[in-house]
Amino acid sequence: MPALEPRQVSEVMYELSRDFRPDMHVPVRVFADEELLSQMKRDHSLEQLVNVSTLPGITRAALGMPDMHQGYGFPVGGVAATLLPDGAISPGGIGFDINCGVRLLGSGLRYPDAESVVPKLVHELSRSIPIGYGRHGRLDLSSDELDRVLNEGCSYLIHEKHLGLDADLELIESRGSLPGADASRVSNRAKQRGQDQLGTLGGGNHFLEIQRVDAIFDEKAAQALGLSLGQVTVLIHTGSRGLGHQVCTDYVRAMDQALPRYKISLPDRQLACAPLSSAEGKEYFAAMCAAANFAWANRQVLTHRIRETFARVLGTGPSAALGTGEDSTLRVIYDVAHNIAKLEQFGNQTLCVHRKGATRAFGPSSSEIPATYRGIGQPVFIPGSMGTVSFVLVGADASKEISLSSTCHGAGRALSRTAAKKEVIGHELRKQLEARGIIVRCPSNAELAEEAPVAYKDVERVVEVVTRAGIAKKVARLVPRGVLKG
Amino acid sequence: MKASSQHWFEEHTGEVQLHLVAPTLPQLFVEAGLALAELIAEDGIPTSEDPAEVVEIQAGDLEALLVEWLNELIFRGETQHRVYRELRVTNVSDRRLRAEIRGTRPDHLRTPVKAATFHNLDVSLQPDGYSATVVLDV
Repeated sequence: MPALEPRQVSEVMYELSRDFRPDMHVPVRVFADEELLSQMKRDHSLEQLVNVSTLPGITRAALGMPDMHQGYGFPVGGVAATLLPDGAISPGGIGFDINCGVRLLGSGLRYPDAESVVPKLVHELSRSIPIGYGRHGRLDLSSDELDRVLNEGCSYLIHEKHLGLDADLELIESRGSLPGADASRVSNRAKQRGQDQLGTLGGGNHFLEIQRVDAIFDEKAAQALGLSLGQVTVLIHTGSRGLGHQVCTDYVRAMDQALPRYKISLPDRQLACAPLSSAEGKEYFAAMCAAANFAWANRQVLTHRIRETFARVLGTGPSAALGTGEDSTLRVIYDVAHNIAKLEQFGNQTLCVHRKGATRAFGPSSSEIPATYRGIGQPVFIPGSMGTVSFVLVGADASKEISLSSTCHGAGRALSRTAAKKEVIGHELRKQLEARGIIVRCPSNAELAEEAPVAYKDVERVVEVVTRAGIAKKVARLVPRGVLKG
Repeated sequence: MKASSQHWFEEHTGEVQLHLVAPTLPQLFVEAGLALAELIAEDGIPTSEDPAEVVEIQAGDLEALLVEWLNELIFRGETQHRVYRELRVTNVSDRRLRAEIRGTRPDHLRTPVKAATFHNLDVSLQPDGYSATVVLDV
């Protein structure tokens, strides 16, 4: 294979044409500047994106977002669209943590007044929200109730379990419920893994953060989103927990076994896939939608727990905690998935857009974004690493042509976990963060070191690339004040 | 001379790449289970008093059998809140495995492992035994 040297085709876009390797069906395009591209060349992410370009039915291009890094099968930060009806769906192109995503809540609290109460909030949140691996939630669901979560997502929790407000639904991608979901396609094993995990953060890079809005770049958009300087926000980053992991495990196995039946040959076995029109494709899609609903439901239960905690600590009544009034304590600003496949319309074609560590970024004219955000764009949240800033962006209409309506999902890892632990000592990092006024709750110092800022790319550079590419616009910057790390 | 069983974790930007060597196939699968347990929980877990659990799995080929074995341990560990360090593989072929395992409830869990993947997956017979590579999503 020739050297992986993509040629620059615009200021922040690089391309490998489809004749780079004989099995490619489409070119590979990467959004990056020189530094980010050089980081990508240091791991196997470009090679993995070339492998993605061989998927049956892939159209346009295999895309790499500026936070792309090496994963398994797909790179993290990879986007691929296949053409229906017979284009493939690949569970590995969504990942094990189906609908891992980010929800941002806006509060009525402001700095400097909030300064004195944030430590108490962090402490109480750490008591009420299970964090870390192996912790289970307080929500006790029967198997029928779990099936309703899988089929209906957030609306079931809000309307029948009273875990949120009707107004929340409008502000969640796909209203927190995908219509193709079918709980009967989710195995009993997956349901067993997820049974006690609703309302838990999980481990790894999942976290919950209390933040302060420290810069506004677009006043009009910020106002529409309900963001202002000094405001306290809460960011939730988690997904479908063990239930989603098992759904992916089950269907990667099924599709790996089905490859000969569909005469599919792949350069990487983890890309196992089947035509979306096949029995395996339809069953996986129904199960994936159900797992995505479970993830939105998980972030909904966490939202409820956070609202309860804020109400208890701030001494406000339940209505304020639920955000029912003008002075709402915590309002959902938006909730976006970054590990998912969605059926989206591009002209007269329906495409299955796989986003693996990438976020949907619909522009202001999209009819699929909340009515209040039309004319502004779909909110996109780009969390930095622990201890660094996060960004709020809005999608641009041009993203549809440029990047299959997709953008980055975070800073992206630059160092392996082992390398991070060699460079960083957990207890020293904890002290450094606390010296900067950031309160950290994490079960262990070793896990803290794995997620240290040095392990990640520069989030400001990543965001700069997507704005220069015309994919999204910067709205606000958020700085961490308290972090619960899973 | 046959090599003794060993495992180590190799550099991977996003996940964990596990490399295994063992003199025999049953020992290779035991080593894979021990590596998983080491990753998930801290050392020093007391010997299990739980009864042995019987694991019987099958797959289309040897590589897939290794993934299936690790995913079985991940599933049982997560749903039963156990880490399995006592592993006895009683029968293994290219497509089937039978084992008896005992788990303990760990005091402190370390790295959550979501699944074993097919990426870069390899099991091969070497002059001095077996070697394998498997990437775990963490």
